Amino acid sequence: MTEVKAELVGSVWKITTQPGAQVAEDDVLLILESMKMEITVNAPRAGTVKEIRVKEADVVKEGQVLVVLE
Amino acid sequence: MGAPLTLPAVGDDYTARVTELKAKRSKNLGMGGEERIAKQHQRGKLTVRERLDLLFDKDTFVEFGLLASQQPVRGGETDPGGTPADGVVTGHGLVEGRQVWVIAYDFTVMAGSMGAVGEQFKAARVRELALRYRKPLVWLLDSAGARIQEAAGSTFAGTGYLFADQVVMSGVIPQVAAMLGPCSAGTAYIPGLSDFVPMVKGTSSMSLGGARLVKAATGEDVSDHDMGGSQVHCYESGVGDNEVADDRECIDLVRRFLSYLPSSNTEGAPFHETGDPRDRSVEGLDKIVPVNPRAAYDVRRVVKAVFDHDTWLEIKPAWAKNIVIGFARAGGHAVGVVANQPMQKGGILDSDAADKAARFIRMCDAFNVPLVYLVDVPGFLVGSQVEKQGIIRHGAKMLYATSEATVPKITVIMRKAYGAGYYVMCGKGYEPDVLVAWPLAEISVMGPEGAVNIIFNKQIEASDDPETTRAQMIEAIRAQINPYLAAGWAMIDDVIDPAETRRVIIRGLEQATDKRVDRPWRKHGNIPV
Repeated sequence: MTEVKAELVGSVWKITTQPGAQVAEDDVLLILESMKMEITVNAPRAGTVKEIRVKEADVVKEGQVLVVLE
Repeated sequence: MGAPLTLPAVGDDYTARVTELKAKRSKNLGMGGEERIAKQHQRGKLTVRERLDLLFDKDTFVEFGLLASQQPVRGGETDPGGTPADGVVTGHGLVEGRQVWVIAYDFTVMAGSMGAVGEQFKAARVRELALRYRKPLVWLLDSAGARIQEAAGSTFAGTGYLFADQVVMSGVIPQVAAMLGPCSAGTAYIPGLSDFVPMVKGTSSMSLGGARLVKAATGEDVSDHDMGGSQVHCYESGVGDNEVADDRECIDLVRRFLSYLPSSNTEGAPFHETGDPRDRSVEGLDKIVPVNPRAAYDVRRVVKAVFDHDTWLEIKPAWAKNIVIGFARAGGHAVGVVANQPMQKGGILDSDAADKAARFIRMCDAFNVPLVYLVDVPGFLVGSQVEKQGIIRHGAKMLYATSEATVPKITVIMRKAYGAGYYVMCGKGYEPDVLVAWPLAEISVMGPEGAVNIIFNKQIEASDDPETTRAQMIEAIRAQINPYLAAGWAMIDDVIDPAETRRVIIRGLEQATDKRVDRPWRKHGNIPV
């Protein structure tokens, strides 16, 4: 199980995956928005999306778990 | 007239003495013996003498202190097996034809531990001569640290010159600490004070206290590798620069690093013709940099496209990746590149990014390497989390370093140049020699979405349709953010076609060759370290 965390504070702009989806390493899971930038959150490894812990427009902190892969 | 002089006999005795010398040399060239050399190889490491063969041009190494060995300290015993060269090989040789001095620890002799002879006489002599001749100094580190048998007790009071010497040498001669094995205890300050610190994955480590000391001092159970391997220092702490696969790659990288620097601060950076045409139009940037300013891309592709082919040497590639730093050549001229990296954290600046850039900028300035800033920065990260990290003082380091640098500085604003991000990336106030923008450039204190709530807050609140009013106001502000406004005021020198970037940089570097900046006298400034 791998927890994918936010690298920096921001809000969730778009979620581009869903629970149960198979993802490859580097696939975009969701896009954060911070300081005028779209910041993609990519899968650190291949796996299945077990859980998405945020929804669009949520404000997230650095280090907060966004997605759980297994 | 007296009897003719009788000269001393030349013959068997003379030959015997030379034979004795050869035997002594041969023994010490054999390092710690076959068994320990085999062990060194088993660990995936080269011996100190194999490393020196890789570091220096063929047959140029001149050794000092080959015949040294451990001497009795305070009536103690010395190693009966002998301690060839006292565990550290020292001397000088040529790297691409230029003299470089070396202090190379030999792990096969008492684990490369630093003894009285090796440190107080051999290494100290190299430091003295490297500085005397103004030549770079390279450490090949593979050492268990201080030889406690010789160092324990209060004669410690007489030690510590090493680091004071390093500080005196800082900014005068380039210092490189190649991490090829362990480097624990106080000796970890050698890389801590060096200009470049490549680390071999798996075999090298550094920490202020080695694993056994940590266990005794705090009870923590951790290995040297887990505590201070390249996976820590090149990825998390930022103490290491570049992680490399093995000794060979490490020493290659040291040679490449030195090729971008002068032998000392009294010289200019060396010029190397690369064959890449000076006026080459940079094609394909439109396929790398999206027009949408919110979209990410890998700025390293821009760097590789703009500068001379195959000259890019990225430094600290795995730490604070939201800023990219490294050396390259532009029309053969060595340059230090500072570029925002939109692909990592949107290129937003934070504490580590500012720290990384500031140190690199100061190294380039100290050694007369011109700086090229490639700007695409949304600004510094804001909020409670970064304030707790002290982002103001970290950001101020980069502001300070850019402002203080008197080498030629070329600034190319590719897309965003917002707020203090524009300042630290060598905006108008920081003495750029050439300051140009691409047509995509957005220069502003902040983006329209942020500015609208401050400038037009009352109008939006008073509106019957606040969202429409807000959108209108955002567009009104956005219209004010374009490079032609800055060019119209001549606050920037030109707006350029991105394809012209290479030519503009090369012309700018040559324009500023004779740059001279005189500051008011001071002992030194007070950088917010």
